[in-house]
Amino acid sequence: MSNTLRPYLTAVRSTLTAAMCVENFSSQVVERHNKPEIEAGTSKEVIMNPLMISRNENEQVLIETSVNSVRISIKIKQADDLETILCHKFSRFMMMRADNFVILRRKPVDGYDISFLITNTHTEQMYKHKLVDFIVHFMEAVDREISEMKLSVNKRARTVAESYLGQFM
Amino acid sequence: MAFRRIDIDQYDEDIYTEEEILADAESGRSIDEINSVVDARATDVRNLLTRGNNSDALTKSLEDPPYGRNLESAKAKNIKTVVDVLNQFRANDIPTAIKGLNLDQQDVLMKYLYAALSKPEQFNSGMILNWHEKLTEVAGPGSIVRVMTDKRTVF
Repeated sequence: MSNTLRPYLTAVRSTLTAAMCVENFSSQVVERHNKPEIEAGTSKEVIMNPLMISRNENEQVLIETSVNSVRISIKIKQADDLETILCHKFSRFMMMRADNFVILRRKPVDGYDISFLITNTHTEQMYKHKLVDFIVHFMEAVDREISEMKLSVNKRARTVAESYLGQFM
Repeated sequence: MAFRRIDIDQYDEDIYTEEEILADAESGRSIDEINSVVDARATDVRNLLTRGNNSDALTKSLEDPPYGRNLESAKAKNIKTVVDVLNQFRANDIPTAIKGLNLDQQDVLMKYLYAALSKPEQFNSGMILNWHEKLTEVAGPGSIVRVMTDKRTVF
């Protein structure tokens, strides 16, 4: 693991551990409703200061906490146009299947590539430390995944070009 | 709430508005006063740094941070002062420097670390992340929770 990646992930891990202290909280505005306050935004007093952790301008995590939900938005590194496309397709693929990922949000927050929404139900059903592990592991894996895809796209393009242009030799 | 055209809650006398929350955090000093305090501190810190007194400069820079609304310039300047001090430390000296701070100073430092992390175009994140790791080892997740819940923000 590179030199700055480790402290970056450590910072994300400790911030998530601190942020994931969520509990059941019914809406103060609508009776018998119970919604993630960070999304509803109807009562300001239960929303905490958003924290941002960045490795550089292109890799950032925004952690927004409220009394019963945490929203985590990740900006994935995109060095060139190909990576931008791959990243877009990859995150879209997952977000279309958001139900299977349980904590994945169907749309990313503005300015970010992918978002997670963890509510008190999730922390009750699943282990908190495993949830934190999942997010950190995801961040670690997604960079690797995209660079692998980039390599295989390039490799495929080279093979196609070789076999096609080979006809004219 | 699409069926409701009027936000009836705004007529509720007991409603807790964001204005109220943020007004609590203000120190009651005027903007000019705070600006001059911040400027004076920046000069003091620079003097301490030129004398090579890093740990005193760190405690000085964490004193009396500007809290409240409409203080963007003072806040930005103070963040810069703190980060300039942090830059002077070598990686091996960080744990000793953190042990020299009391709990309140550690919390203020944590606030400034997050403030600096939210501006990656301005500050070197690698160095800040290093400080963050060391500070979390000493101060624990409680310090991070206090950054999130304290409405007296530094940025």
